Amino acid sequence: MRRRRKRRRLTPKGAHPERSERLTMTRSNSDKQMPRVAFFVTCMVDTLYPNVGMAAVELLERHGAEVVFPEDQTCCGQPAFNAGYRDEARRMARHFLNVFGPLVNRGEVDAIVAPSGSCVAMVKHFYQVLFEGPDYEKEQRLVDLVSGVSYELTQYLVDVLGVEDIEAEYHGSLTYHPCCHLLRELKVDSQPRQLLRSIKSGEIVELPAEHECCGFGGLFAIKNAGISTAMGKRKVENLLQSGAKTVAVGDVSCMTHINGLLKKMGHGCRAVHVAELLNGSVRDTPEAQ
Amino acid sequence: MGNGPAGAREQILGRLRESLAKQGRLFRQSIGLDLPDPPMTVFPSPADKSLVESFATKLVELSGSCDVVRAGADVAERLMQRIREWTAQSPSGPIEILSWAPDELHVPRLEQTLAEGDISLFAPEDLHDQSIRARAASIDVGITGIEAAFANTGSIVLSPGAGRSRAAGLLPLNHLVLVPLSRLYPTFEAWLLKLRQEGRLETLLHESGQLAVVTGPSKSADIELTLTLGVHGPKTIHAIVFDDTE
Amino acid sequence: MNIDVSAPYQTRVKQALADDNLRTALDRATSRLSETRAQAVAAIDLQRMRDEARAIKEHAIKNLPDLLEELERNLIANGCQVHWAQTADEANEIVTDIARQRDVRRTVKSKSMATEEIHLNRALEDAGIKVVETDLGEYIIQLAGEPPSHITAPVIHKRAEDISELFQRELGMRPTNDPAEMCAAAREQLRSEFLAADMGISGCNFAIAETGTICIITNEGNGRMATSMPPVYVAVMGIEKVVPRVEDAFLLWQAVTRSGTGQDVTVYFSMSSGPRRSGHPDGPEEMHVVLVDSGRSRIMEREYADALLCLRCGACLNSCPVYREIGGHAYGNTAYSGPIGAVVTPLLAEDPTTAKELPFASSLCGVCREVCPVKIDLPRLLLDLRHDLTQLGSSPKYEGAAIRAYSNTVEKPARYNRLSKLARWFSRILPANTEGDLTKLPPPLSAWTRSRVLPRIASRSFRALWRDGRDTRRGSSDNG
Repeated sequence: MRRRRKRRRLTPKGAHPERSERLTMTRSNSDKQMPRVAFFVTCMVDTLYPNVGMAAVELLERHGAEVVFPEDQTCCGQPAFNAGYRDEARRMARHFLNVFGPLVNRGEVDAIVAPSGSCVAMVKHFYQVLFEGPDYEKEQRLVDLVSGVSYELTQYLVDVLGVEDIEAEYHGSLTYHPCCHLLRELKVDSQPRQLLRSIKSGEIVELPAEHECCGFGGLFAIKNAGISTAMGKRKVENLLQSGAKTVAVGDVSCMTHINGLLKKMGHGCRAVHVAELLNGSVRDTPEAQ
Repeated sequence: MGNGPAGAREQILGRLRESLAKQGRLFRQSIGLDLPDPPMTVFPSPADKSLVESFATKLVELSGSCDVVRAGADVAERLMQRIREWTAQSPSGPIEILSWAPDELHVPRLEQTLAEGDISLFAPEDLHDQSIRARAASIDVGITGIEAAFANTGSIVLSPGAGRSRAAGLLPLNHLVLVPLSRLYPTFEAWLLKLRQEGRLETLLHESGQLAVVTGPSKSADIELTLTLGVHGPKTIHAIVFDDTE
Repeated sequence: MNIDVSAPYQTRVKQALADDNLRTALDRATSRLSETRAQAVAAIDLQRMRDEARAIKEHAIKNLPDLLEELERNLIANGCQVHWAQTADEANEIVTDIARQRDVRRTVKSKSMATEEIHLNRALEDAGIKVVETDLGEYIIQLAGEPPSHITAPVIHKRAEDISELFQRELGMRPTNDPAEMCAAAREQLRSEFLAADMGISGCNFAIAETGTICIITNEGNGRMATSMPPVYVAVMGIEKVVPRVEDAFLLWQAVTRSGTGQDVTVYFSMSSGPRRSGHPDGPEEMHVVLVDSGRSRIMEREYADALLCLRCGACLNSCPVYREIGGHAYGNTAYSGPIGAVVTPLLAEDPTTAKELPFASSLCGVCREVCPVKIDLPRLLLDLRHDLTQLGSSPKYEGAAIRAYSNTVEKPARYNRLSKLARWFSRILPANTEGDLTKLPPPLSAWTRSRVLPRIASRSFRALWRDGRDTRRGSSDNG
C-alpha cells in the first residue's frame, strides 16, 4: 500500500454522477432490476459484532444492491468442520443450504454475500468436500447452486457492483492485514486494498510481514493457545512497527484474536473490520474515538 | 525375485496394485496432465551471453574460478600456473597431481609439458590397494576432464571409466577441470535430449557406474547458515575452458 | 534447553515456546531459506515447473508397482542386488545381514530421512557395527544424540556455540566458534572414516526406473564419498521415490533445490547405476538397493496418495508459521516435521492416534500449499486427517460433546436464538474489565483468556437490529 498524505475531498459527498444515475436507472427501469443479495451475516458477526453486519448491509445498499436477510440462517458449520467433526458440520451445512439454496434456485436473489472470507470459503470450497460421494446428490446440487454465487463483501462490491471509490474518511494512519482464507482460498486481495486506498484518509502504511497468519485458526486458538498467542504477538509487533493506529481486516475472527491480544497487552491500536471503515462508521483512530 | 524376507516383494506389489485398482480417484485433485515431453528446461541459458561467458560467470558466482584459453599448448601452460599457485606453500620439489590418465584429458603433450615444470601426473589404475589409496588421499590437487558441462548453472558431469577415477575429482582439496568447448551445452535438458536422440543415454549411465554432476566447490551452511567451502569434496574448483573444435 | 521428543505433545510445545535460543535460530534460518527460495523461483517459470513436477509424481504414484518392477529389472541388469522390505525391522535386518556377511565393522552414511525413519543406525549399532553420519548436520546431531529437527537442515536448532562445545568434547577440537574451523575439524575426522569404512550407506532422492539408477543429492560431497570409497554400497530407498525417466529426475532435482534451499542446483547430484565396472580404478565392488515400504502402501490403502507426492524439499517447513514457533523436535519422535510431517507421521504409523495432535498443530493458513513444488494440498490433507482421527475417537470427549451440542442447536433457528440468548446472559455474568471485555473464561476456554480478552456477546444481535429496522427500511426503500 502506498503512503499518502492527507487528501482533500475532490467531489462533494453524494455527488458522484455514475452512481446516482445507476440508482435512478434501476429504480425507474423495471426490466433492469437492482441485484438482490441474500446477506449471510455469519454467527460471529451476528452475536459479537452486529454493527459490522449493519455496516456491510449499508455498504451494499448504498452501492446499488437490494439486500434481503434470510432470518432462519444460523452457522455455516466451519468450526465443526475444521475441528474434524463432519457429521455435525453437515447438519449445519444442510441447514444453510436449505435456507439459501431455494432463494437462489427461485431466482429471488442473485448472490449471497458475507462480511467474512473464511465463511465464504467454507461454502465455496469445503461444502464440496462435506458432500462428496453418491450419498449426497441432493446436497451437491444445492452446493453447486450456492457456491457459484457466494461472495465476500469487498469482492462483491468491486467485482460485481463495480465500486471504485468509497465515500468514506479516516483520520489517522491505517494498514491492512490480509486474512488467510480470504487471501489464499478465495484469492481476494486487490479488492479490499483498492477500496481502502480510496478512503479519504490520513495515511495508509504497509504492514511488515503482512502475509503472515495472525494465529487465530479456529479451535487452534484454544487447542494450541500457546502457539496461537506466539503467532499473534508477532502480528502485534509488526502492527506496532508499522506505526498505524488501525489495522483493517476482512474477518472478525482475526479481528477478535488481534484485538484480544492488543487489549490484554495494553496497546492503543485496534483491528477494525473493513465494513466499518468503508461505510464511515469508524473514521478516527482508537485514541481519538 | 528379490532377496529379503520371503514374499515381501509380492506383498508390497500386491498391496499397491489392490489399492490402486480400488480407488477411483487417487488424488484429492489431479493436475490432469500427462508426463511432460522433454526437454523440460527449468532454467534456460541467458540469451545475452555466450555459453562460455555464462558458464564462467556462474562458476565464479559459486566461488569457483574459470580460465578461457584457446587450445592445446595454452591449456598446459595455464594448468601449470594454477598448480603452482595452489602448491606454492608446499616444500619445493617434484609435485604429484592425482589425475585421470593423460589420454582421457585430450590435451596434446600435457604430460611432457607438466614434466618440464617438475609436475607429474599420478593416474592410479586400481585404488583398492591400500597404499595406492593412501598415496592418492594425500595429494592436494586433482585433474579431470568432463563428460559434459552446462552454461546455465556452471555445472560439469564426471563419468568414471578406465583411466578416469572418481577419486581425482573428489579427494583432493583442489580440483582442476578441463572443459572442451565441444562438450559445453546450454542446459542439462539440451544435453539429455541429444543423448536421447543419439541413443546413448542408457549406455552412458550403465557404463559409468556413477555419473556425478558437480556444480561448484563442496559447501555447507549447516552451522548457523554460514557458508563454508570444502566440507568433504574439493574446496576449490577451477575450470579451464578451451576450444577443441578446430 | 533440549526438547524431550518422547514427552507428551503439550509438554514438547511448551518447552519449545520457552526456548528463546531455539526460536531465534528458527527465525533466522526459516526466513533466510524463504528468501533464497523466493529469489530462486523468481528466476524461472515457477508455475510450469510445478505443473511438470506434479505431473511426473502423479504418474509415478499411479504406476508405482510397474515402475518398481522396471526399476528392479534394470538395477539387476546393472549388477545390483535388490531387496524388498515391508517393515522397518525387515529393512534393518537386510542391511545388517549384508554387513554381517561381509564382516563389516564400520560404515559411513550419507544423509537419508528414510534411514532416520526406520532407525537403521540403532539397528546396526545393536549388531556391533559402527555407523558414522557424514553429512555435517547429521554428524553433529549424531554426536549430540538427537534426532534431526528439519528435513534438509538437521541442526537448524543449534547455535555455533553449541556445536563448538560438542566438537571440543568429542573431537578434541580447539576452542573456536568459527564455522570454517569447525568444518575443517569435521572434514579431517570424517575423511579418515570414509577411507577406512567397509560399507557406505545412502538414501535415495530419486530412483530412475528406465535405467536402474539411484540418485542422491548433497552439497558437501559426502554422498559421492560414501558411495564410491567403501567396497560395499547399500542404498535404502522409500518405494515412493521411483520416477520413470532420466529427465524426470533432473526436473525434480531442480524443483527440490529451488524450493528447499533456494539454489539453482545442489553442488552434487550422483547417479549410481551399479557397482564398479571392470577396468574402473575405483567404485564399490557391490551395490545393494533396499526397497522399503514401511507404511507407504498403508498410506495408499488409507487413501492418502497425495502424501506420497512429497519430494522432501522442506519448503513447507520453511514457510510454516507454526514450525517457526516450535521447531521440528516439538513434532515428537519422528523424522518428519512441519506441515508434511503433520501429515505423514500419523499416516506412516500403524496407529495414527499416536500422533493425533499433529494435524491440529496448524492454523490452516495455506502458505505451505503455495510453496510446495508439487502442489500438495496440505491444508486439505490436514482437514481430512482431523476428521479421520476424530472418527477414531482420539479427540477429547468433552470436545465432541460440545460440538455435537452446538450443531444440534445451530441447525434449528429457534434453538440457535435460544442459545444466543443464553450465551448473552452468560457473558454478562462472567468476569470482565472496565471496557466490558471478558477476562476470565472457564476451561477449556481459559486458554483464550490467559493471553487475550474476549468481547461480550452484543446486547442486541444483528438479527434483532435487522428486525427493528425492517419496517423503517421497507418504507425508505420504496421512497428512495
